[in-house]
Order: sequence, then C-alpha cells, then structure tokens
Amino acid sequence: MTNGIDVERVDGIDVVTLRGEHDLSTATDVSRRIDSALETASGLAIDLSETTFIDSAVLRVLITAQERANERGAGFAIAVADTSGHGVHRLLTLTGLDSKLSTCPSRAGAIAAASAG
Amino acid sequence: MGAVSERVEIEIAAAAPGVPLVRHALRGLLSGLEVDDDVIADIALAVTEACTNAVVHAYRDSSGTISVTASHADGALTVIVRDHGTGMAPRVDTPGLGVGLPVIAAIAQSVEIGSPRGGGTEVRMRFALAGDAE
Repeated sequence: MTNGIDVERVDGIDVVTLRGEHDLSTATDVSRRIDSALETASGLAIDLSETTFIDSAVLRVLITAQERANERGAGFAIAVADTSGHGVHRLLTLTGLDSKLSTCPSRAGAIAAASAG
Repeated sequence: MGAVSERVEIEIAAAAPGVPLVRHALRGLLSGLEVDDDVIADIALAVTEACTNAVVHAYRDSSGTISVTASHADGALTVIVRDHGTGMAPRVDTPGLGVGLPVIAAIAQSVEIGSPRGGGTEVRMRFALAGDAE
C-alpha cells in the first residue's frame, strides 16, 4: 500500500485518512494536515482503517489533535477498524491509549461521532 | 532449526527518513524465515521505537549515524540499535510520548540498554520468533 495523507470534507467534517505506514518520518506532515483541518472544520475524523503502521510519534500527534479539538469544541473521533494494521492495534493497546482516545470501529462511525461532537 | 544464521547490518543517518528504512530491511530479513506476520509487526514496532529514540535523543543539534544489527539464530532475533551520541539525557521537547522503551520492553523477550565504549547508547533487544521454522 502506498503511504499517504488524504483530507476531504464530508458535511462540514474534515476526514484525514492515513494510508500505509506513518512514523517519525511523516509525523510532522500528519500534524500539519490535522492542524490545518482543525482551523476551519466543525469536526475532525481521522481514518486509520487503511493504516498499516504507526509509531509513538504519530500517536502523540493523534493525542494532541484530540486535545486541540476538545479545546475548540470541535467533534473528534478516530476510526480504528479490523482492517487497520496489527501494529496500530498493538500500539494503542500497549500504551493504554485505546481507552483515552475517542475511537470508532469504522470510518462511517468516526465521521458520525465527529459530527455529533 | 538449522545451524544457519542470518544477519543484517544497516547504518543510517540519524534523521527521521532513516527510520522506515530500518523497518523495511528487518521485514525483508524476517519474511524469509516463516515468522508469523503479527510477530514481524511487533518486532517492526519495537525496532522503530528504538530507532526513533536514537534519532530524537542521540545528537540533538549535531549530526551522526545510527547502526542497526539484526542477527537470527536459534529461533530468536537479536537487534542492536547503536548511536554514538550524547547518551540518554532527558529531553523536555521530545516529539514522542515517552512510551518507546515501555513498548519495546512489552514486545521483546529481553532488552538491555548500555553505554558502550566510545560513547553513545546501545539498545540490545531479543525477540522470540515463535513461528520460526524448526
């Protein structure tokens, strides 16, 4: 799978999709795209359903994004699906952050949760 | 298990673009060893965290290199991540979460962190290859 970061707006919600692998080498780009989305969107959904790998540098970006969304009163949710890579699930579980991040098991669920936020 | 061991040595610049290169090289080594995909993913995560720690903490404002050695023998993979930097001084502006070492410790069978002669930091990790062919 080709690595990439896609952003699209769905009913006022910005959906940031991370495809493939993301780590320290892409964390700055991921952060920049998320910050840009948070400036104008009423909610933010981050889709990890096509993400095969993340490390703690990216996890920090996701936590910061949730904090900023909360500060702005914007909706926020992360899609962590069965199709997300083993490493994505593993990192969230090992760090205990699966219980602190607002996650949904599907992209559609994350968009709905971010809209309702 | 045969007597043949496999070994990979990589040296990268201590910069973010090198981190995925190490991960991909490790996967290349493990893909030929009949190791379960989830085990490979775990090892990739742990070694990525070790390399990220080295990139973030070893050299601060100077440049340097990180060497990674992975050797396979007796149903286990030993990975050594070595830098020649300033050692393990804490960094308040770290881009990480401070969870790298706990993640490594949770995945690896054993992990040793040392300060080798010549300076720097060495992280030695041993991983059981449960799906390894006997």
